[in-house]
Amino acid sequence: MSDDQPPQATAAAAFNEDFTDLFENAPCGYLSIGPSGNIFRVNVTFCTWTGFEKSDLVGKRFQNFLNIAGRIYFETHFAPLLRMQGFFNEVALDVVGRDGRLLPVLVNAVEKRSSDGTVLFVRMTIFNATDRRRYERELLGARAAADDANKALLELNTTLERRVAEAVSERLKTEDQLRQAQKMEAVGQLTGGVAHDFNNLLTLIIGGLDTIGRQLVKLPESYDLARITRAREMALHGAKRAAALTARLLAFSRRQPLASKPLDINALIKGVADLLHRTLGETVAFESVASAALWRAMADQGELENVLINLAVNARDAMPNGGKLTIETGNASLDEAYIASITEPVSPGQYVLIAVSDTGSGMDPATLARVFEPFFTTKDVGKGTGLGLSQVYGFIRQSGGHIRLYSEPGQGTTVKLYLPRAPADAKDETIRPVVDASSDGGPETILVVEDDAELREFTSSALRELGYHVLQASTGLAALEALDANVGIDLLFTDVVLPKGLNGRNLADEAVRRRPELKVLFTTGYTTNAIVHHGKLDAGVNLLGKPYTFETLARKVRAILG
Amino acid sequence: MSILKRNNVTVHGDGDQAMVFAHGFGCDQNMWRLVEPTFRSKFRTVLFDHVGAGGSDLSAYSKEKYASLEGYADDVIEICRALNLKDAIFVGHSVSGMIGTIASTKAPRLFSKLVLVGPSPRYINDHDYIGGFSAAQIEELLELLDSNHMGWSNTMAPVIMGNADRPELGSELANSFCRTDPEIAKHFARVTFTSDNRADLKNVKARALILQCSEDVIAPLTVGHYVHKNLPDSQLVVMKATGHCPNLSAPAETIAAISAFV
Repeated sequence: MSDDQPPQATAAAAFNEDFTDLFENAPCGYLSIGPSGNIFRVNVTFCTWTGFEKSDLVGKRFQNFLNIAGRIYFETHFAPLLRMQGFFNEVALDVVGRDGRLLPVLVNAVEKRSSDGTVLFVRMTIFNATDRRRYERELLGARAAADDANKALLELNTTLERRVAEAVSERLKTEDQLRQAQKMEAVGQLTGGVAHDFNNLLTLIIGGLDTIGRQLVKLPESYDLARITRAREMALHGAKRAAALTARLLAFSRRQPLASKPLDINALIKGVADLLHRTLGETVAFESVASAALWRAMADQGELENVLINLAVNARDAMPNGGKLTIETGNASLDEAYIASITEPVSPGQYVLIAVSDTGSGMDPATLARVFEPFFTTKDVGKGTGLGLSQVYGFIRQSGGHIRLYSEPGQGTTVKLYLPRAPADAKDETIRPVVDASSDGGPETILVVEDDAELREFTSSALRELGYHVLQASTGLAALEALDANVGIDLLFTDVVLPKGLNGRNLADEAVRRRPELKVLFTTGYTTNAIVHHGKLDAGVNLLGKPYTFETLARKVRAILG
Repeated sequence: MSILKRNNVTVHGDGDQAMVFAHGFGCDQNMWRLVEPTFRSKFRTVLFDHVGAGGSDLSAYSKEKYASLEGYADDVIEICRALNLKDAIFVGHSVSGMIGTIASTKAPRLFSKLVLVGPSPRYINDHDYIGGFSAAQIEELLELLDSNHMGWSNTMAPVIMGNADRPELGSELANSFCRTDPEIAKHFARVTFTSDNRADLKNVKARALILQCSEDVIAPLTVGHYVHKNLPDSQLVVMKATGHCPNLSAPAETIAAISAFV
């Protein structure tokens, strides 16, 4: 007999104690349920898991401790199953603990029957399935994710062809847009160059005709004089029309000098309303919808007014049987996404929107694609130049803005102009009445710097005619020499583009450095960055655009000399 | 014959009058295995599985048709007509109590007597009406079903078939007891527990016996009293049996009550 063997009397007690411990502290819950369905014995493990005392459980039905779904399924599925097959295994249920928390469990149940088949009791074994349920959830989640990924992949595959087609068509569209942009750029270069040279020639022609006119009035009246005067007037009229045309070409090619300043667009529209009414005629109604708290826009006032009139003319022509023109304003933001969708180099940011809508015939996509091209017109020959929208386009682009056309046949057209918002602190400079400067001459001395000899001669003789003392130079260096040699020079009148190193701007800078009181007037057919930053005049710079007439030259010079 | 096949109809006995046994939510015609054989000596007994349960034709299942209990009631009528039944006794357990009630209002000559075991015309409480469940509880049940938790759908079939770890045992057991398609069971649960057929009760012409268990979570005593009060020609028997399935847990008491009535 070993020391481990208990004495006979205590052996039974030890055995009982051992079995009691096995039952009470088993790694699973044990419930014994009577034939009527009531619990009559439960072990400590189950009580520990659920927080119930044994007395809470004994006498009750197991179903009472399940959540609602478990209760229903137990009654309708598992209880019948147990009764029919005598057992069930691994039924997943949730036991509601004393504190209301759910304990996920797996339940096995088996009926214990007597030899005659009557049910003595049901033994229920309950496993804590907290971890397993969590794995199941993770597994289900992973499976769902995999299913989703599969579905997405399938979707990708099935739509591959369509997406390739879409991408190709998108690419082709972008290329088309790019080609269109390049075409506009090339046409702009060409027209800008031609217009520039034409301006020089027109200045000469108009100057010559001016001179003729001034001489003619000194001659005694005669039949021949009347004929010459008429011919001169016709020539001058033609030359001025040509000058107007070159101005529009320059506008399109974004080479017109612009004096952008903060503008109150609502006030500007109000200012041109009368003119618009007259332009539109009686059959077209005009309405303007002014947005409150509209930001100010940076733009050239005169050119913007021209643009609105241009658009009104187009609208009127699209509404031969009458209709309505609406001009609306509003604040707008062009975001990165929008910018990405267009080929033009537009900066994202805040813009002032002017929308000009008509109820006219509208345009088909083919027409819409070409409306900005110079000389493209849908109007009858002789009715339009085909430059109106080109000019608008050039102006808006040069102003750092953006233009968008919306049109469909029969649905009318809306032109949206986006002009950059003026810096918040900028002063309002809208509708400043133009002081009508005198065209008188004066005794001052003017240095004329122009590389084109004919033009230089014309300008000089015009100024002399006005009574000014005139000095000439054909290059910047020559001009500086003249400046040093003549202390009495009051005004430097220089072309912006000069040969041999020193351009008009360099010349002016140096001249003013040497003679701070010197006044400067620039002239140019088109402008370069030397005088115009991105097409805009530097603040305080005086500029006389080519071609100029005797009259405009006289006024400008007088205005500057004071 | 396709209707009899669709609902896995089995017919026994050779009495003049027919007894049609309908199972409830959660099992199939096996539900009646301890009760039905007793009646074969005097009646022609008809057993069937609702579409979606037991040996029914799962391909006949449609969410649209079975979106309400009426779809199931129509099947009962079709089965009876296919068997040329008239003045039969309908014995319906649980939700089939109401399915038979609906069938008898739609085809009044079909059944002369109704035996309703644990019926409930509405499971959700409604003002003074005590159905036994709050709307929130049923919502919880339906949400749980929708969450597609393994406990309710993925393991439902193997659990009911037997041992989840040994599916080969499952198919064997499946041929004996309570098969159910988990997806269909989910929808059947939704239709059952959100049903409200209280208005149908007053239209029943047949005599009715209500067998009410004394402790039933699914159909509490108050519901039994409500059905008794609203069924025009009915008698209520409150059984000693507890639970929701006296046909399994107390077959002798059930048989005795039905025999006394028929």
